[in-house]
Amino acid sequence: MVIEIADVIISGLINGSVYALMAVGLTLIYGVSKAFNFAYGSFYSLGGYIAFLLFGLSFINNYFLVFLLAAPILLVFGFFVEKVLVAPLRKRDDWEIKVMMITLGLALFLDNSFQVIFGSRMKSLPPFLEGGFEGGNFYLSHQDVGIFFLSIGGILLFRWFLNNTRTGMSVRAVAQNPAGAQIVGIPKEFVFAATFAISTVMVGMGGILLAQKYFITPMGGWDILVKAWVITAFGGMGSIRGGLYAAFIVGMLEAFVGWYFGMTWTLIVLFAVLLTTLAVRPQGLLGKWG
Amino acid sequence: MDHRRISFLLAVIWTIVAVLPLFFGGTNFIMHILIMCLIWSVVASCWDLIMGFAGIFSFGQVAFFVMGSYASAIISAQFGIPPIFAVFIAGGITAGIGILVGLPCLKLKGAYIALVTFAVHMILEPVLKGEIGRAIGTGGTRGLLTIEPMTIFGYTFSTASPVPYFYLMLLVAVICSVIILVVIKSHWGTAFLALKDSQEFAACLGVSAFKYKLMVFALTSFLTGMMGGFYAHYVGMLSTRMLGIDLFVTLMVILVIGGVGKFPGAIIGAFITIAINELLSPLGPYRPITMGAMVVILVLVLPDGIVGLFERLFSKKPHDITH
Repeated sequence: MVIEIADVIISGLINGSVYALMAVGLTLIYGVSKAFNFAYGSFYSLGGYIAFLLFGLSFINNYFLVFLLAAPILLVFGFFVEKVLVAPLRKRDDWEIKVMMITLGLALFLDNSFQVIFGSRMKSLPPFLEGGFEGGNFYLSHQDVGIFFLSIGGILLFRWFLNNTRTGMSVRAVAQNPAGAQIVGIPKEFVFAATFAISTVMVGMGGILLAQKYFITPMGGWDILVKAWVITAFGGMGSIRGGLYAAFIVGMLEAFVGWYFGMTWTLIVLFAVLLTTLAVRPQGLLGKWG
Repeated sequence: MDHRRISFLLAVIWTIVAVLPLFFGGTNFIMHILIMCLIWSVVASCWDLIMGFAGIFSFGQVAFFVMGSYASAIISAQFGIPPIFAVFIAGGITAGIGILVGLPCLKLKGAYIALVTFAVHMILEPVLKGEIGRAIGTGGTRGLLTIEPMTIFGYTFSTASPVPYFYLMLLVAVICSVIILVVIKSHWGTAFLALKDSQEFAACLGVSAFKYKLMVFALTSFLTGMMGGFYAHYVGMLSTRMLGIDLFVTLMVILVIGGVGKFPGAIIGAFITIAINELLSPLGPYRPITMGAMVVILVLVLPDGIVGLFERLFSKKPHDITH
């Protein structure tokens, strides 16, 4: 019993850490540009498929190279999606709904392209670390530990980027006051595209990390989109710290509900918790209106 | 657009649609598609009403449709209520759920509403397939395979001769479009415009956001659920496959083509989209890809839809309805 509960807590922590990485990406776009990205889940699958393709290349045999190559691909992809699809809509009055529509169209396009290119069968990635810690009935794989630390590392790296680099500071400035940021000479359009690109990298990396455990499927991103979305709303849209707390709460909740009631209940319980939170605190745990 | 032009457009559209069976009445396949067009035109118009006019980013339209269709099928099967009444009871049930979903949404803003309503869509499938669903008779993963056909005054509509059902649906669609027109052009519609421009200012003038938004949730979910019922009794079987992203995007394409917040546009959009969808079906797995690409391109090049395009071509002051 104790070991079972320990297992559940560990799985909650590991999923929570990856969710945190992805939710921070989603909350970042919303916080900075108020745009909502429906294709976020497809970018998750895209990350997984890029890694799958990279592993098909003969000279690639470890994850370090995969991350090194996948990150720039995702970065450029995200940047161009923002520049070509989202940016032209921004000058319209009803651009929020138009952005939701166009990203939904993009999601349909990407998901079905994956289906045609890779087939609907599940694809798997090799585990990125072998072996594990053992002790009696207790088993903790090195892979899980690695995923946990990589996700946390990614978030810390992102935090460092926001606080200490010029681009990161301009991202924060645009998030706080777009007009003011523009007046002091920050290229607003570039910052929007850059945040979109960074968030694409974050969710794509999440895809590569989780694909080792849960496989890659063409439609697998929707589940992730809803979870990342629930986490951001739960923690407060635009609040990175709120997203972080919410991700671990959701990861734990999911692990315990799945263990106790069965996996079909996890979404229902998540939704119930979200609704209750929003009914009491419409802006989420740490969010602000605006 | 003023109400005279909308009414004129509606009259033209419905007259053209009404004479279509003269040409296609013999081909059941085309009549079937036309019936679907009528059903989706009402559902898309409802979505347009809540999203385009009321400015509420509701993404639960397909969920309400599926709820209505299941409710109607279950009610008629388990309580022996004739389908024609079951359809309206299903609409009532869906309206009740719509109000329940709407209540928390009224406190929320933009993307949060989209989340809550889309979450309803996402959890509907596990609910219908799971233990709760089986307990109320949804048939679980198998779905419902035998649903009573629609019967009015002893006359039973069948899929074998779809022309009578086409006219029944046309009647329903005409009534629904008139209701939506009346809502848009009454003080409701004005209230929505005021609320969309500035919720605080409108509230100061005594426009109750709470009342109007809840009413639009109730109305659109009632009509959508009712159409779900009509759909269920027409096709005779239901499964949770409808909740896939395909139908959701089809509805969105309808709105994109017709123009968001350009009322009769959704109806025109429904006919064009369903026709395109059928024309693309030989493409097989490439069809959804094409649809997705179409949404992306259309949002960029035709942001106000066909109606917006015509407004720009024929009118000297464009966008007179949204500004």
